[in-house]
Amino acid sequence: MATTEEITTDSEAGDKVLTPEMVAEIQALFPRYPTLQAVTLPALHIVNQHLRHVPFQAVVEIAELLELAPAQVQDTLSFYAFFKQDKPHGETRAWVCRSISCALRGGEEVLAHLCEKAGIQPGETTADGKLTIEFGECLGACEFAPCMLAGDEVHKDLDNKKVEAFLRDCQSS
Amino acid sequence: MAEFEPVLLANIDRPESHTLAAYEATGGYSAVRRVLADMSPTQVVELVQESNLRGRGGAGFPTGLKWSFLPQDHPGPIYMCVNADESEPATFNNRILMEQDPHQLIEGAILACYATRATTAYIYLRYEYPHALARLQQAIDECYEKGYLGKNILGSEFSLDIYMHRGAAAYICGEETGLIESLEGKRAWPRIKPPFPAVKGLFQKPTVVNNVETLCCVKHIVDRGADWFKSIGVPADPENPRDAGSYGPKLYCVSGHVNKPGCYEAPLGLTVRELIENQGGGVWKGRKCKAAVPGGISMGVLSADELDCPLDFSGPGKYGCLGLGTAAVTVVDDTVSMVDFLHNTTRFMAHESCGQCTPCREGTSWALSMLNRIKAGKGRLQDLELILEIGDSIGIIPGTTICGLSDGAAWPMKNAIRKFRDEFEEYIRKTNPDGCNETEPVQALQIIGVH
Amino acid sequence: MATVIINGQEIELDDDERLNAIQAAARVDEEIPHYCWHPGLSVVASCRMCLIETGRKDPESGEVSMMPKLVPGCQTPATDGTVIVTDSDKVKKARAQVEEDLLINHPIDCPICDKAGECRLQDYYFEHGQADRRADLKPYTSRRRSLGDTVTLFVDRCIMCSRCVRFTREVTGTAELYVEGRGSSEEINVFPGFPLENKMSGNVVDLCPVGALGDKDFLYQQRVWFMKSHDGVCAGCSTGCSIEVDENQDHVYRLKPRENPHVNQWWMCDEGRYGFHHIHAEERLAGPAKLDDDALVNADWTRLPSELNEKFTAAESVAGVISPHLTVEEAYLLAKYLRSVDENAALVLGPVPSEGEDESFPNGFTIRAEKCPNRRGVQAVLEHFTGKVQTLDDLLPEIEAGKFDAVWVSGGYTNSDWVDETTAEQFASVKTLVVQDLFNSPLIQQADYRLPSAAFAEREGSYVNFADRLQSFRWAVRPPMGVRTEGSLLWQLLASSGMYNAAEVLAELSREIIYFAAAKDEVPAVGVDLKVNLLV
Repeated sequence: MATTEEITTDSEAGDKVLTPEMVAEIQALFPRYPTLQAVTLPALHIVNQHLRHVPFQAVVEIAELLELAPAQVQDTLSFYAFFKQDKPHGETRAWVCRSISCALRGGEEVLAHLCEKAGIQPGETTADGKLTIEFGECLGACEFAPCMLAGDEVHKDLDNKKVEAFLRDCQSS
Repeated sequence: MAEFEPVLLANIDRPESHTLAAYEATGGYSAVRRVLADMSPTQVVELVQESNLRGRGGAGFPTGLKWSFLPQDHPGPIYMCVNADESEPATFNNRILMEQDPHQLIEGAILACYATRATTAYIYLRYEYPHALARLQQAIDECYEKGYLGKNILGSEFSLDIYMHRGAAAYICGEETGLIESLEGKRAWPRIKPPFPAVKGLFQKPTVVNNVETLCCVKHIVDRGADWFKSIGVPADPENPRDAGSYGPKLYCVSGHVNKPGCYEAPLGLTVRELIENQGGGVWKGRKCKAAVPGGISMGVLSADELDCPLDFSGPGKYGCLGLGTAAVTVVDDTVSMVDFLHNTTRFMAHESCGQCTPCREGTSWALSMLNRIKAGKGRLQDLELILEIGDSIGIIPGTTICGLSDGAAWPMKNAIRKFRDEFEEYIRKTNPDGCNETEPVQALQIIGVH
Repeated sequence: MATVIINGQEIELDDDERLNAIQAAARVDEEIPHYCWHPGLSVVASCRMCLIETGRKDPESGEVSMMPKLVPGCQTPATDGTVIVTDSDKVKKARAQVEEDLLINHPIDCPICDKAGECRLQDYYFEHGQADRRADLKPYTSRRRSLGDTVTLFVDRCIMCSRCVRFTREVTGTAELYVEGRGSSEEINVFPGFPLENKMSGNVVDLCPVGALGDKDFLYQQRVWFMKSHDGVCAGCSTGCSIEVDENQDHVYRLKPRENPHVNQWWMCDEGRYGFHHIHAEERLAGPAKLDDDALVNADWTRLPSELNEKFTAAESVAGVISPHLTVEEAYLLAKYLRSVDENAALVLGPVPSEGEDESFPNGFTIRAEKCPNRRGVQAVLEHFTGKVQTLDDLLPEIEAGKFDAVWVSGGYTNSDWVDETTAEQFASVKTLVVQDLFNSPLIQQADYRLPSAAFAEREGSYVNFADRLQSFRWAVRPPMGVRTEGSLLWQLLASSGMYNAAEVLAELSREIIYFAAAKDEVPAVGVDLKVNLLV
């Protein structure tokens, strides 16, 4: 007869992608809202922060926690074009703004240059997994146009040299 | 003109301006103290009504009037949503307020919640402002510790919780009911109105949604009074009983082809020309201004001979634009093609359209596909007529859509093509000499199974 | 009373009526086109096809003030003084624009799309659309994606009305369908591993205004313009959903729910919806047969009625087992006939098929465990003739003991399992056993006279559902050659003249039996509540 020490996690638990830590973070938000569904977007962010994407299995687990159907969580997730699902985004995710104030000051050229040097298109991740480039829509830093948001940092007054330096930093990190 | 003494931006250059200590050192939270001790919620509403404060989020709706729509004896809960989703292109004033002076917003929110009897406030903050997120969360934590938030604030009957709620990069979450739907955990498809949020909003309860800058103004109105507020800006037109005036200080964002892009505070009513020349340091590189966006791209665009347009709630409308919007002025110099300008704004709108209602979803996408084809050298003059027709037909103003995103998509189309018609025609003729006069439909650039 | 003015015409609404402009306009036969609105779902006003002009008429001055902007009719309440305009140039232009918008990216699929002929996109194009295409040409055909066992999705035909999504969230509460993405590339989808599989799934195909959702059972089976629609009642369970039977040349291709606010609102369950294939099953009993000195021979419908009548009249003691699948009229005629040949004829209720438990959905719709349409009706007939209700089980001992010379068992059961070997053998000693049924069974094997029965869509008459609501219907398809309906056979046995006339039978029995009194006047399409006239 198996003792408690010998009982291993069963295959179902092994297939779960939400760690107890993530579950705890999500559940800590429950008291803030009168419905569980309101925790959907915060839960997606929590999972995304840990895993750099929200795989389908995570959607199922979030839905279970929030007493929703997986389709309801997926409905919300897919609206935002923000959460990757098939594989993690790069260690750095760089949103290069393409809205009017940045475009007027060379934003599209800077983006093209970065893509060329990195060898990927917006939406894609470099092969070494270091960098994902995305289109940003007005990052709200127009006084520093053209700009990009990478992680939590706004990179200002970009030009070709600056993005090349940025790329080198990403690759060496 | 005399330098305007900053009100909203008064603190931002002080060291540690974002901390509670710095904020209290200049009298911060004295308004909260006084209101909790001496004023009833109704009195605060009346004060704000008297000030004729109008929302700074884009619609310019009188704030006190919005608050008065809440049902009088509702058992609650009543919610406050702080609209910190600032996503209108070229707009960044709220970002500066939240990063550099978060307590000003928090105090304004506390006063607004007291007035509206809201017991929970959510600050819906766009994803792209991580620094503001950190600063605001720190400020909230400081307030809980000090007793400005939580149960029985400063020993009064009033309790309030404020929570941060982070968005995920969707412009439509800045629309009042889109924000509410997103907060509730669903896709941000704006709701039909009626019912209005004041009656049935967040979680089907009475809700007020207010812009960041608007709430900061509330704090100052309580501090200095309605008369003070009305001493700044442009008075209501006595001939027009519907004009609520354009009172108070305003944060103007200047960006694009200027020497000093930035956020500047001045009374409402500055003209575009003044803003560009004075605060903005003039058009860059010695060039001339070709066009200027008056208040975020949703408002449309002014031509070079319309720069005397005053930036108050009634000004831009007289120049064929939608309105003041966010008072974010973007300057376009004479090297820019208006075709590229319109392509950029239309691409933005088509990308951000929530997709719920037919005219916006299909109209913005159709206009974009035509502009793509024009830029690919396969445009027709006929396309300009079609884009204008789309622009004239989509929006809440004609009543064909659920929310105002489509009006924001339409105005650049109408303004750009009508005010720069010759340029558009010349572009098409030059890039597609053989096909520009075609009136029959042509092959789409992409024929695929997906739109 | 509320006065509402539609295109200048005034109508009166009752105080308790809550109508929107679409419903109010329908009262004056004015159709406001719409896609996303449905009376059984929440109002989203997203398709924008129902845009109208609206205003108010001042009750004192009579002055009409119209709102400057268009508003959706689905979200405009029709209250006292509401003015509705559906035919102005402004409204027509707005409709034409919505129609054009929907067609810009629509795949060129009409020739291969099931919905052609009953498609709103097609119909509104002709009625309200602007003629020529002005958008770029992109001829393509839709992608297809299965959503579950019953429904398939032609992805690109979807016009994003969201009816199907709202149905799974609001009516069934199962939330399998969702919208993927944002803007003009939105699509309907199901989450991987969680297909559309609730028991009301087929309703989303009815709801879809275009050919995006396809019913796998019906897909490519028949063009709708070849089919005739007949009002009917589902015989799948005792809920008794009002349905329509769509057939071509006596072949049933599809069942759809028919609106009945008293029974099923706008819905029906999948079991009922797809439960008609037995009508055309090869295994159906094809023609009458009889045992002639232990040899089974084909019988002849021209001679059978008189032969049966001879046997039953000569019998000393007669019994009848009346199936809950029979209509009220057929049950009445059978009871009447058997009592006419033997005034003490035993009459009992046939086995009542039952499966599982009643299953209710959040909106109240219930699939009932009792899998037959007319137990209540048959019971009432039995009570009238015998003063009580007994079942076959009550009678089996006497049948086995050989008390009855002639027994008539009516069937109409949709499978062979309703009676087992043991029970069948208890009929072994009956001299003249008549069994009229759809399929082979142990009991048919015992029968001296093996008569094929009608399927529900071939019957004419009435059923009484679980809530004592009687609904009447005409036959939708003729039975196969060699089959005579119970009604037609019994009509002849009772020596009634002319063709079987269910209405006449209903008139008679509603006079004779108090329970059915409310059915003595013409029964409306939604049926009649029999309890209305009962004191109990």
